[in-house]
Amino acid sequence: MDLFQGFLNPTLAAGALLAGVPLLIHLLNRQRHKPLDWAAMRFVEAAFRRTRRRSQLENLILLLLRMAAVALLGLAVARPFLGEESLLAPLTESRRDVVMILDGSASTGYRESISSVFDRILERSRERIEALDGASGDRVTLIVGSSAARTLSDRTPEAALAALGTVTKPSSEPMDLAAVFGEVLQLAETESAGTETSGLEVVLLTDLQKRSFQVRAASDAEDALETPALVRALDRLEELGVSIKVEDLGPSQTTPPNLGVESVAPIDTVLGPGLATEVEVTVKNWGTKTVPDARVSLWVDGVKLPTRKLSVPARSSASVLFPFEPRRTGEHVLEARLPGDRLTFDDSAATILDVPPPVDVLLVDGDPADRLDKTEVGFLGAVLEAPPDDNLGRAQYKPFEVRTQSLSAFTSSDPDLDEVDVLVLANVATLPGSTVTAIEERVAKGGAVVFTLGDSIEGARGLKAFNDRFFDATGTGLAPAELVRQFEVPERRANFHRCADFDVDHPALKFFADERWSAYLTEVPVYGFVATAPLENARVLARLDDAANSPLLIERAYARGKTYLWTTSIDGDWTNLPELPTSFVPLTHEWFRHAGRPAPRPTHAVLGAPLSAEFEQFPRNASLSRPDGSKTRIDANPEELVGGRFGLEVATQLDQLGVWTVSAENTPDLAFVVEGDATEGDLERLAPNELSKFHSALELESLDADDSQPIEDDASRGELWRWLAGLALLALIGETLWSAWIGWKRRIA
Amino acid sequence: MADASQDNTQKGGYDKRLDPAVLDRLSGLTLVARTVVEGTMAGQHRSPHKGSSIEFAQHRPYVPGDELRHVDWKIFARSNRLVVKEFVEETNFTCRIVLDASASMGFGTLRWKKLDYARWAAAALAHLVIRQRDAAGLVTFDSEVREAMPPTNGANQLAAMLHALENSKATGEANVGEVMQTLVPQLRSRGIVAVFSDFFDELDPIVTAVRQLRHAGHDPILFQILDPAELTFDFDPLLRLDGLEGSGRVKVDPKAIRQAYVEEITKHNDALRIQAQRMNADFVTITTDTPLDVALSTYLAHRAARVRG
Repeated sequence: MDLFQGFLNPTLAAGALLAGVPLLIHLLNRQRHKPLDWAAMRFVEAAFRRTRRRSQLENLILLLLRMAAVALLGLAVARPFLGEESLLAPLTESRRDVVMILDGSASTGYRESISSVFDRILERSRERIEALDGASGDRVTLIVGSSAARTLSDRTPEAALAALGTVTKPSSEPMDLAAVFGEVLQLAETESAGTETSGLEVVLLTDLQKRSFQVRAASDAEDALETPALVRALDRLEELGVSIKVEDLGPSQTTPPNLGVESVAPIDTVLGPGLATEVEVTVKNWGTKTVPDARVSLWVDGVKLPTRKLSVPARSSASVLFPFEPRRTGEHVLEARLPGDRLTFDDSAATILDVPPPVDVLLVDGDPADRLDKTEVGFLGAVLEAPPDDNLGRAQYKPFEVRTQSLSAFTSSDPDLDEVDVLVLANVATLPGSTVTAIEERVAKGGAVVFTLGDSIEGARGLKAFNDRFFDATGTGLAPAELVRQFEVPERRANFHRCADFDVDHPALKFFADERWSAYLTEVPVYGFVATAPLENARVLARLDDAANSPLLIERAYARGKTYLWTTSIDGDWTNLPELPTSFVPLTHEWFRHAGRPAPRPTHAVLGAPLSAEFEQFPRNASLSRPDGSKTRIDANPEELVGGRFGLEVATQLDQLGVWTVSAENTPDLAFVVEGDATEGDLERLAPNELSKFHSALELESLDADDSQPIEDDASRGELWRWLAGLALLALIGETLWSAWIGWKRRIA
Repeated sequence: MADASQDNTQKGGYDKRLDPAVLDRLSGLTLVARTVVEGTMAGQHRSPHKGSSIEFAQHRPYVPGDELRHVDWKIFARSNRLVVKEFVEETNFTCRIVLDASASMGFGTLRWKKLDYARWAAAALAHLVIRQRDAAGLVTFDSEVREAMPPTNGANQLAAMLHALENSKATGEANVGEVMQTLVPQLRSRGIVAVFSDFFDELDPIVTAVRQLRHAGHDPILFQILDPAELTFDFDPLLRLDGLEGSGRVKVDPKAIRQAYVEEITKHNDALRIQAQRMNADFVTITTDTPLDVALSTYLAHRAARVRG
């Protein structure tokens, strides 16, 4: 049975050990007797015999008083508190252990008047804390709940009030009640110290947003069988005897009106300079009444487009389209805004659109034919090159810049590949070493190379020549797989292979993930192919339906670039693909557009997380513009990355929703969007009777409840510091009187 | 005074240590025997042989046979009574100086030890005695007699005594009472026996020795030489006391035992003083911070006053 359950100032408890100091001094003094030759020893010995016991007793009492004074003082300042079972429990004062949870979710930013719900929560928490008595040992743990539980203070009411002063506004995130009550459960478990009874008083000050009390669906089937974490935490708290008082400080309406921008996105996935498209802005009406004339504006790169009106039905969404025709390549910041309403955090949403330049494609024909349309390169060129106009006199958007070269022309001199995004080696069995080196260098910097097979690579010699030149088992070669053996169906009319499955998540093939279009990939007949052995780190994007499920399309990262192997040919002798424009066009366009672009940089960042950015050039004099318009200089030093790029730690914590922009000399600005959870705008509130139905551990408390008294009588386990300080004082007085008396007695002697 | 005299004595022999200031202070005083002493020479002291002398003793009624020259005719003329004048016959005496040179006498918290002080006092007394043409002798002892010089007169005797005093060292255990008892039978002529010691010894042997001296007709004077700290025990720091005569070691808090210590030593001294008074022997306690001339002259003056009545 422990005397003390813990200390409010545990580090100061070590001060009690200073009680050993008087003992140490006493022992040291015993070693410090001054030697003196003495004649009248008979009288000293007689006196010593007479006084020894009394003197020892006097000194012992003095020593004990000093040690007691120091030890008691040390314990007093450490402020021990006791458990129910402590022997000293009857001496303690009444003490309350309060856990106060402030709903810091974005919804509490809602304003019905001048003050927001969160302001009311702060005010109410201040009132409740002020009702506590720190001198009696009352403790309060202040938790702000949002996407995680953030403990502001876990000590005295004074400390909690001071911590409360640092909080001025709610977060921009929803509240994760499971995380919050998980934190409370930990406190209760610690406080109960294995007694299965906790005296914690838990108070939740909230807007009672229904969304917060909804049990989230389990992420997978296995978890779905388990009780949700929130319910588990509440069950356990109830077992420990912890009752949670919920104080409703939310808006007066059950479903307060609120409009929020749900999303902003282009309707087309293909963007290009001069390519007209539209941006769809979706607005959500969380209220119970239709909003007939919601005004939405779209800002493109800081320029406001004409405002549009739309009618948004109650508890529903509506969209409005804005024309968008980028004039230049590069990133564009699009931000949709609503006029500010009572909840502002969801009144805007942004996205960053990257308008890429045309992909530069160089087609190298390994087996030129008399007619271009009879070769692979001819087919590829035909589908990649846009017609000169749209028959309406307007210049067409050109997603690809296509050039074609024969193998001999390509190898006649050192090729200039700097501008080439995608190099297609069609039916090329081998290349000079210098040319391969030039290709490797280009790919390493971010380009892509596509191998398609064909008649030039037929036979064992052809396969060997290809492997010798382009493949290396260590991964240093360009080819993502080793060519093993050529297969050809015996009878084209009766036998052919098809694509058995493909990677639906891969951007190059995502178009075919739609059930409507998947057949355009899976039904393409393939009559001949080469079985391959991909490298370990190669990714097979599509497989054939042969017995071995041979790879059809293989991708592999090569430094910053990519390499692809199409294990058949574009030639009509190997496959019908060139004759199927509904397959051929989307496949090549999607594939080459993905291959020709570097991986998109992350443009969305997470609230509360750190942010770092990568630059092509060394970022000089970098600065950060925040969504509120403030601008700060970035003091962090750029770090050189692999491939000559530079990384920069931009911010340690993103604390605002909106668009953050990083600027530096000689490099384009980099924008990042920090998005909030649009569903947090649903302000529908839990009805009072629904709260106890949700869980019996939750109890709605009225605002006029007397919170100056402990919730339960048995919470009177408290601190002992007054007693200890009093005893220390008594020990000090006793020591002073005792030593004075001894001194006086000896002086008069 | 004492400081000055002691400082002088540090530099030379005992003849030089006889501080002129001290001797000058003592010059007007004499050591007189309180009891009747025997002597072969005319001196300052009363002889049991009454007769003609210059000092009147008493009147007594005339009886036949008395010499008529001793009849006090002036009284007869005034009162018509025949009375005879009697005179005290003055004679020389012996003074034996007995010096305790045990280890305990080596204690001192001043710049000099108790033995130093006792030697200076003994030397001054010897000088005084020999100056008044009496005989002086010296005995030094610790647990037994270490050196004994029979009493004689003359300048050579004083020099010899001073030399002996100078050579005395504080060693050995004290055995004051028993050594004094052994001395008694060896003292042939009655006289003054001046004992310089701290008397930190058992009380009974000392008292017995004094009683024996008195029975033998001697006039014992007990000079108790103490360091002032031995009376007050006024120390602050914790002490580890090492017995000077090998009586062990003890760690004490002086403040804690001071009262008991003072009571113990006072009890011892008071008992010795009372016993000495009962036997009509002088017991004089002198602390080493008392100027020597003051201590001796005071005592000698008081003694002389007491003797003369």
